Order: sequence, then structure tokens, then C-alpha cells
Amino acid sequence: MSRFLIRRVIGSVIVMWAVATLVFFMLRIVPGDPIAAMLFDAGDAAAVEALRHKLGLDAPIYVQYFKWFWLMFHGDLGNSIYGSHVPVSQAIAEALPRTLSLASLGFIIALAIAVPAGLIAATRRNSMLDNVVSFGAFLGLSMPEFWLGILLIIVFAAGLKWLPAIGYAPLSEGFWPWLSHLILPAIAVGTTFSAIIARNIRSGMLEVLKTDYIRVARAKGLTGTAIILRHAFPNALIPVITVVGIAFALLMAGAVVVENVFAIKGLGRLLIQSILNRDYPTVQGAVLVVSTIFILCNLVVDVLYTMIDPRIRYDT
Amino acid sequence: MTDQALIDTLEPLPQRQSTWRRLRGVFLRDRKALFGVIVLSLFLIAAVFGPWIAPYDPNAMAFDMMLPSSWAHPLGTDDLGRDLLSRIIVGTQVSLFIGIVTVAIALVAGVTLGVLAGYFGGWLDHIIMRYIDLQWAFPNFIIAVYLVAVFGTGLSNLIVAISLAFLDDFARIARGMVLSIKEEQYVAAARTVGVSHFRIMWRHILPNAVAPIIVQATVSVSYAILAEAGLSFLGLGVEPTTPTWGLILSDARSFISRDWGLGIYPGLAIMLTVLSINFIGDALRDFLDVREVKDAA
Amino acid sequence: MTSQHTRLTSADEARIRAEFDDAYDFDPKDPLFGLGRAAMCGPRLERRTVLRLLAAAGLLTSGHLMGAVRPARAEGKAGGTLTCGWAGVGEIVTLDPAQINQVLQFQISSNVLSGLTHINAELIAQGDLAESWTVSDDGTEYTFKLRQGVRFHNGDPFTADDVLFTYKRSSDPQKSIHSAVVANIAGLDKVDDHTVHFKLKAPQASFLPKVLERASGRAMTIVCKGALEKMGESAYGLAPVGTGPFKVTQHQLGQAVVLERNTEYYDKDRPKLDKVVIQPIIDAEPLAAAIEAGDIKLIGGNPIAPELIDRFAANGDLVVDETPGPTFQALWVNPWHENMKVTDFNKPLEELMKEKGFMARLAIAKAIDRHAYLKQAQFGRGTPAFGTVNPAMGHYFDPSLADSSNQKFDLAKAKQLFADAGYPDGKGFPKLRLLTTPSNKRETEVVANQLKQNLNIDVAIETKDFPVLIEDFDGMNWDLVRLGSGGDYDPDDALVDWMQTTSKFNGRLRDKSKYPFGFFSDKDVDALISKQSATADVDKRREMVVKANKTTSDKVASAFLFHQPDILVHHKSVNFPKESRIPGLVDLDRVTLA
Repeated sequence: MSRFLIRRVIGSVIVMWAVATLVFFMLRIVPGDPIAAMLFDAGDAAAVEALRHKLGLDAPIYVQYFKWFWLMFHGDLGNSIYGSHVPVSQAIAEALPRTLSLASLGFIIALAIAVPAGLIAATRRNSMLDNVVSFGAFLGLSMPEFWLGILLIIVFAAGLKWLPAIGYAPLSEGFWPWLSHLILPAIAVGTTFSAIIARNIRSGMLEVLKTDYIRVARAKGLTGTAIILRHAFPNALIPVITVVGIAFALLMAGAVVVENVFAIKGLGRLLIQSILNRDYPTVQGAVLVVSTIFILCNLVVDVLYTMIDPRIRYDT
Repeated sequence: MTDQALIDTLEPLPQRQSTWRRLRGVFLRDRKALFGVIVLSLFLIAAVFGPWIAPYDPNAMAFDMMLPSSWAHPLGTDDLGRDLLSRIIVGTQVSLFIGIVTVAIALVAGVTLGVLAGYFGGWLDHIIMRYIDLQWAFPNFIIAVYLVAVFGTGLSNLIVAISLAFLDDFARIARGMVLSIKEEQYVAAARTVGVSHFRIMWRHILPNAVAPIIVQATVSVSYAILAEAGLSFLGLGVEPTTPTWGLILSDARSFISRDWGLGIYPGLAIMLTVLSINFIGDALRDFLDVREVKDAA
Repeated sequence: MTSQHTRLTSADEARIRAEFDDAYDFDPKDPLFGLGRAAMCGPRLERRTVLRLLAAAGLLTSGHLMGAVRPARAEGKAGGTLTCGWAGVGEIVTLDPAQINQVLQFQISSNVLSGLTHINAELIAQGDLAESWTVSDDGTEYTFKLRQGVRFHNGDPFTADDVLFTYKRSSDPQKSIHSAVVANIAGLDKVDDHTVHFKLKAPQASFLPKVLERASGRAMTIVCKGALEKMGESAYGLAPVGTGPFKVTQHQLGQAVVLERNTEYYDKDRPKLDKVVIQPIIDAEPLAAAIEAGDIKLIGGNPIAPELIDRFAANGDLVVDETPGPTFQALWVNPWHENMKVTDFNKPLEELMKEKGFMARLAIAKAIDRHAYLKQAQFGRGTPAFGTVNPAMGHYFDPSLADSSNQKFDLAKAKQLFADAGYPDGKGFPKLRLLTTPSNKRETEVVANQLKQNLNIDVAIETKDFPVLIEDFDGMNWDLVRLGSGGDYDPDDALVDWMQTTSKFNGRLRDKSKYPFGFFSDKDVDALISKQSATADVDKRREMVVKANKTTSDKVASAFLFHQPDILVHHKSVNFPKESRIPGLVDLDRVTLA
């Protein structure tokens, strides 16, 4: 187990290094000169060169690369090349709680919808309820998240005025301001996700219900509810955990567009904006953080697997 | 009988006739799948014959902006006075084209990589899998965003970006299937009598890996259509004058509250298509008896 | 030029005319612009003096004169929190005057930082941190008496050293992007703790209203040395410490800038509000939803998407305040493109009119129906443009150009020209690449559609993010570009920056061995523009400006499209006094909530 873990961690670190390096060099081939654009109005070639030099962007690329790497090992992700040159770590530190808040609330909403829906659908297979649930799940899967987001804004913010249309309030401003800003985006992010989990729970349950030990349990005279909750459900959770592993990928992908709709400056928006602005250090930092979290999620899933399902071993 | 002929008889016999009959049975029994087939066929017809079916030139502007539904304009006009129905019909072509072509590219490239990795193993497997891991470490959609930002917007760049982003799913599935089939007796037999690697992969291994790949492909088509919409929303889509569903929807976003139809109809087109594809995918999954394939981002 | 929201009486018109004439009535050689020392000195300048200074500096707009027409409204009560949305922007990247390069940024910094002077909407230039000043007879020496007892938000006292520090920082191109603004200052001395003395290289009309101005000037907006050193540049850039009416208490990039009342402000009556929250909102729909739901009460920042204005105007809860804006927007046509080639704009117009390349260019410019464009793309808001000089420049704007320009919309003639150039009904003309930014995509489609419908030209629109677009534009790597300019208050902004061979935007990164100039070059225009820059006689200057502008229009330096209006939208519960309605700015120190 621990040998497996060590190998996985080392592998993950290597992947992270490769991701960071790839991103670094690919950014440099992106067309577009951020400095010239920034000084568009100032318009002075000398000023452009002066700023380029100050930001170290006139050095050869490999020098920039090693410098960036060296600083990263010392916990310094560099500064944004824009405006007041905010440290990238600060931008990420501000964005991360927003994305995590959005993702976790989206996750909770998804589970709250998906678990009962999936269970009902599986236990009453082919009933009216099952059809409704699976149709709803398909519907959720088929809606572009940003579209759902805009519809939510129009109905609940602009129309009914129940919730704020956009923005984010940190928890420090109170629970309700935080929650009220997050409900709509979290629904937009969580819907697709709940559809996926519900489908997984349903098919997982169906498979478990077919197995011998459930038949044995039934033969022993256990009631349906007991069988489902005590025996079938825990087993059906295994495929669900796989999905949870890629939950971050899903929620991040959703967050990229949903954060844009709701004007929440989270990681996704930070990433998109810095890519569009050619803000090299910020893209590098954000990419590093996103991939780190993603890799960590996968690692945790692998570990959870071995804990839940003793049949799975990794010591080969 | 030659060795080769002998080997060929060893592969599992595809039962063509009955397969078709069974397939038809599944789709006729499963009402969702039937719905999917009918709706998707309608959209396919729109995609093929779009320019002839569309009542107006989808790019012709007029001062009649944001008209409500009428006999002349069944879905009204958009913010630049263009007929919305015509735009959605013509948009079908590009949107479905993107969905199908990206998945076709991802499938061919991904399966090739996966089969090579799985079949030969060793350093080749190692290199390919490290690359797949690298891609795996990143949400697909963000990869697509990044690639479009790097290479610029436009139809071909968009297709390359989305197919690259979906490639790893196919590679993983193909490799997994190859690893499990490689040890089967008929493959081992083929190798001992000196059948070429290519022929073994093509004739013996691939056909057995087809089922999960088909299921993954249907799921991926729906994701590719959604990915196109999302990228268009972020301003990273195709040429701004090419109507695609994602672009129509994205263009409409400032006008939705003034004319809800602008936001609803293209969204519905996306939803119905993706829904149909998912229904069909689900039926295929049951039919081919493939275990739940990972729902990728 | 008209304002949609103000009816002028004939008495007002007469007054404006008189003020205008008076403002420009001085001998151009007079270093004090006919004002005499007494008039130029002061804690406040007289209205007449300011008008004249502005006129001499080329900054006078009819909007300024209109301001006096409106009586200041009764004030609401003090206190409360005003939430604002800043349109079309994802984050306020900096508030450090040395780095500010967008209007939407100094709209905020003007509420936080002070300058030596600040002009209000009634055009009474007031000492801001300067209590009074005197000017030497030759107009090159200014002595400022500074306000005493003023403290920065962090408690540091404001003294002459801060003026010197700000000047030193701003004149260093490594530290400030505005070093050119202070280039005419020969020296700055500290006389005592509250007196400074400027020596100029040459008399400068724009010295008081522009160079020392707290908002748009940016070079002499007073920064706090102590805070800068303690916080470091980047933290200071997010939450600058100044002496202004509000202090920044919180700035989360991309989320919100929070301003709170500076209780130590030197004017005890201001500001009225306790707190201001400014949220950047990039998309139109969320912005509209936010103000309609009352989440935000005022919109500042970039120009609001035109499709929203009617919607806001129809909303009884909102006030839409519109004035002409200092902008021009254009469709640039590459003169080096094989089918639109003009290698020498110096030829007389009649000769140019015989060249096939020029005919194609002109056909494109003439085929644009600007009224139809405005109706469709801008929902009817804006003024058709035929040159870079905009209607906010008042005196210098020539409305008759709309009729006399060679570019005037004429479909039959455009088609004829295009046919004569060898492309009857567009046959044989290649597909053109039209570059634009994502935010201009919709209206660019209208332009492309007109070219297709009117001349049968196929246009492929390519949207590029601003950094990429600029690189391509500067390198002349395009067929057509949809690009324009904002914040042009003076003819120099429109002409010197855009229309001379050496203009900063004229093919800055082009391959100079291949292209002797960028998008336009005309010797006569170059000479006229240089001359008008140095001419203080406004009527003479106007003559030159109008002539240069007309030549660039006739010779199709660009196919000009329209001038955007300046629109302020707020909730009716927000009392935005007219005296704070300075074009382009959002000064909140007098704003109250009902």
C-alpha cells in the first residue's frame, strides 16, 4: 500500500513538472504581445522595452524558464505582468476559495439531487419514477452550463429578485451573503454533475442488486429497504467514487464558464482571463494549481478504492 | 487450408443478420432510443439539406430586429434581424459536423495510440501512457480552451483542439481492451503462426474492442457539441459569421431578457440533439452490454 | 451638436456663443493667453479664465459650456453605501496613477487620490491640494501654495516633499508610463514645506487643466511616499493611499474595490457617502440584471453595450444621462493590400481618384451606410463619423464634413467606383480578412454584411484578443481592422496620435523596408497637423484642424464609422449632482442617496 502510494506520488510530481514545463513553453509560442498592448496608448517603443526589461521578458526563454523554476521552488510564483504586478500566489489565494466554495456547494447540490434520485430509479426500475429520473438526468446532461446559468439569472435574479445576479461574497461577510451569491452558480455547475452521479448510482445499484449476496439476503427474508441501505448502496458507491474523482475536472470545466457568467473571479476565470491577456506568470501559476488539485483528487480516489474495496490491490 | 485461413476461422463469428434484428428490436422496444433516433435523423436531414430547407439566407440582416414568432419567421428574428429558424437549421450542419469530425479524429488517433501502447507494451507503452497521464491531469475543456487560445479561433483549430482534448479517453479504453484481449488464445495462436502485428491488431483485436469504443464515441459526440457551445460562449469558437448553435446562443446572451426566444431555441436545439445522442448511446450500451463508460468532462 | 437631454433656451445659446468667443479671444503669442497674471493666479480660477485656458489647450468642449445650463440639484442626505458596477471589465488591474492606462481606472482613482488641481463639471478649475498659486509674466513659472493640515489616508502629513516625490516618480519611464506628460517641466523646487515652484521649458496652456489634473493627467496625481515604500508597488497599485475623499479599504482583484469615507478629508462637507463598492462586470446581461435587480445602483467603467441603453431608458427606476463622447471608431483599410493599393497619398485627390487601388478603397468607404449601421449595430446611438475629430471637441468638430466628405454614403457611386476599379458586382475581388476584438464582434458583423450586400465583397471576420489584434495592427498584418479610439479631448489626440506619418499608431511594427508608411501618409496633412498643434489662435487652429480632418477623410485614411456617446446610468435613488458630471469621470464625492 505505502509503496504504491509513494510510486503514485512520485509519478504525480513528474506529471506536474511536465505539465508546468509544457505550459511554459507553449505560452511562449502564443501570438500576441502583452507589453505592447498594455502600453498601446503610451505608444513609446522605449517604454515598451523598459517594461519588458523590468519584467524580465527580454531574457532568452530558457533563462526565463530556469528562473521561474528556481523561484517556484522557493515558493514564489512570480508576479502578474499586468497593472500593479500582483503576486500570482496572491491572485490564486484569492481565487481558490471562490472556486472551492462554488465547487463544494455544487457538489453538495449534486449529491442531494443525485443520491435519492439514483436510489429510487434503481429500486423501482422501469417505473414511472425511474423514467422521470432518468429523463431528468439526461436533460441535466444535455444543457450547456452557461445557458442554464443565464436562465437562472433571468428568472431568479432579474425576474423574481430573490438572489443576487452576480458576484461573490466571502464567508467573512457572513454565511447568508456567501450562500446567496453562490446558490445560482452552484446549481448551474451542479446540475450536469448530479445527472452523472444519478446515472452512476442507478447502474451501480442495478448491478449489485443482481449479485448473489443480495439474492441471499433476500432469501434470508430481509426487507427491501434494509437490503438497499445496508447492503446494496455501499457497494453501489464504488463506481460513484470514480466519478467523484473526476468531479473536480467536471466542476472546474463547469466553473470556467459559470464563473464567467456570474462574474466570480475564481480559478477558472483567472485562468481564462490570464490566457486571453497573455499574462504568462498567472497562467503558469493557475495551471499548476489546477493540475495539482486534479492529480490530488485522483490520488485520493485511488486510495479510497483500496480502502472500500479490498479486492483491489495495487502492489503489483 | 492455409494457415491464414485457419486463423481467420478462429476469430469470433460476427452474427450479422441477427445482430441487426436484435438492434432493431432494442430500438423499437426502448422508446427513449426510438425518440433519439427520430430526432437525430431530423437534425441530420437539416444538416445535410440545411441550405435548401432554410427559408432565408441565415446571414441576411434586416432592420426587423428581434421580431416575435410569426408565419414569416416561425422563431422570430435575432438581434441583427436575421431569421432565427434559418440560422438554427444551417447551424445544425456546422455543430453536428464539429461533433462528429472531432470525435472521429479523437477516435482514430486515440485508438491507434491505445492499441499501440497496449499491444507492444514496453517503452512505447510507457511514453504513450505518460502523455495520456499528462493530458489526464487536465480537464478536457480547459485543454480545448488553451489550445484555441494558442492556435487562434476558427473551424479547423476548434476541431483540432476539441479532438485533442478527447483523445485520451479513447486511448485509455483501447489500451485496456487490448491488454485484456491480448492474452486470449486465438491471438496467441495467430502470433505463433507468424501473422503480422498489423494484421493481428486490425483483424483480431480491434473488432473485440469495438463495443466500448462505440459507446464512448456516442457520449463524446454529445460532449463535443457542448464543448463547441462552451468555447463559443467564451469567444473561442469558429468564425464569427458561421452560425453554429453555440455561437447563436452566445450572441443572444445580451438579448435573452428582451427576447427570450433568442436564448431558448438554440439552447433547445443543443439540448435535443445531445439528449437524442445520449438516449441512443444508452441503448447501444445495453445492446452491446458494455459496462458504464466513464462520463468524461 | 446637440444633447438629447437638455433643451437650450436662446439665452443659453447666446451665452454659450459669447463665452466661446471670449474664450478664444487672445493673442496666440501671449504666454498668458490674454489673461494677465492676476487672472491666472488663485485658489480658484474664474469661469472665464478656465474657458480660455481650456480653449488655448484645445480642451474646450461644448459639453463644458452646457454644464452651466443645469442648476445643481438639491442635495440628498449624507451616509449610506453606494454599490456600483464597472461595465465591460473583468478586473481593475491597477489604481496606481503611474500605471493607469484606462479611463475606467482613473474614474476610480479620482475618488481616492488628489492632484494639485481638479476641474469640476462647471469648469471652475479648483485648487485641489493647491490652495492658491501665482504665475510669472512669461508664463513659465508657477508657484503653488499647498493646503496645510492635509493628511494621507495612512496618517502621513501631506507636504511639498510628496509633490517632489510624485514628480520624480512620474518622470522616470521605468516607474511610470506617463513620463511624457511631464516632459515640459524643466524643474520643480521646494520653497518650504507647503510651497512648490515649477519652472516650465515653454508656456503650456494645458499645464493647469491637464498636467496637474488629478484624474486624466495621472502624472502629477499625488502618491504617498511612505505608503508606497511600506506596501510595495503592487499592493499600492491595488489600494493606493492618497488624500482624496475616499480611501480604499479593500480590493480583491476581479471581485470588488471597496471605498470608505475619508473622515479626515480637507473639505468637511465631502464626501457624503459612507461607503462605495465597485464591482467589475464584464458581461452585458449580468450587468443589466444587477442594476435592474438593484444589486448595483450606478454604472461606470467602459461604455455600456448599446443594446442595454434603451432598456435602461425605458426603466422608470433608472436615469440615463447622455452626452457626446470623445471617441471615433473606424474601419481601417490596408493600403498595401494588392487590390486596394495606394503607395503614395501625396498625389492630388483628382489623380488618386484615377488609381484602381484608391477607387476600391473609396468604394468600400462610400458603401458603408452609417445611419443603417448605427440603427442596427448601435441601436441608433452615436454620430456618423467621417474623420478622427469628434463632436465632444466642440469648436473643432465640423458637422458639415458629413455632407462634404468624399466618403459620404452613396451606393450607386460606390458600385460604379468598384466596377471601374475592375470589380463589377464584386467579381474578381478577393475575400478580405477583417480583424476585430471579441467585444466588437456583433457590430463588425454589420459592417461585413454591408460590404457583402452593397459591393458583394466576401469578408471573413477574425476575432482576436486585444493583445493579438494590436500586434497585427501595428505590423500591418491585416486587410481590414475594426478599431477606434477613446478619450480624445483635444484635436492632438485625434490627429497627432493617428493621422501623421509618424503617428504612434501608424504601423508601429511594420516592416519598414517593405512599407514606407503604415496605413496613411500625406505630407500636407503632416505639416497641417504639426502646425495646428502649435497654434494657439483657435479660429486659425480650427481652420487647420478642419482642413487636415477633411483631407484624411477624402483620401480615405480610414473608412470612418461613428462617434460613441458618453452615457452615465444610475438608479433614480442616486442623486448625482450635475456639478460632478465631468465627461468620462465618475466623481462620487458629492453623490448622495435618497
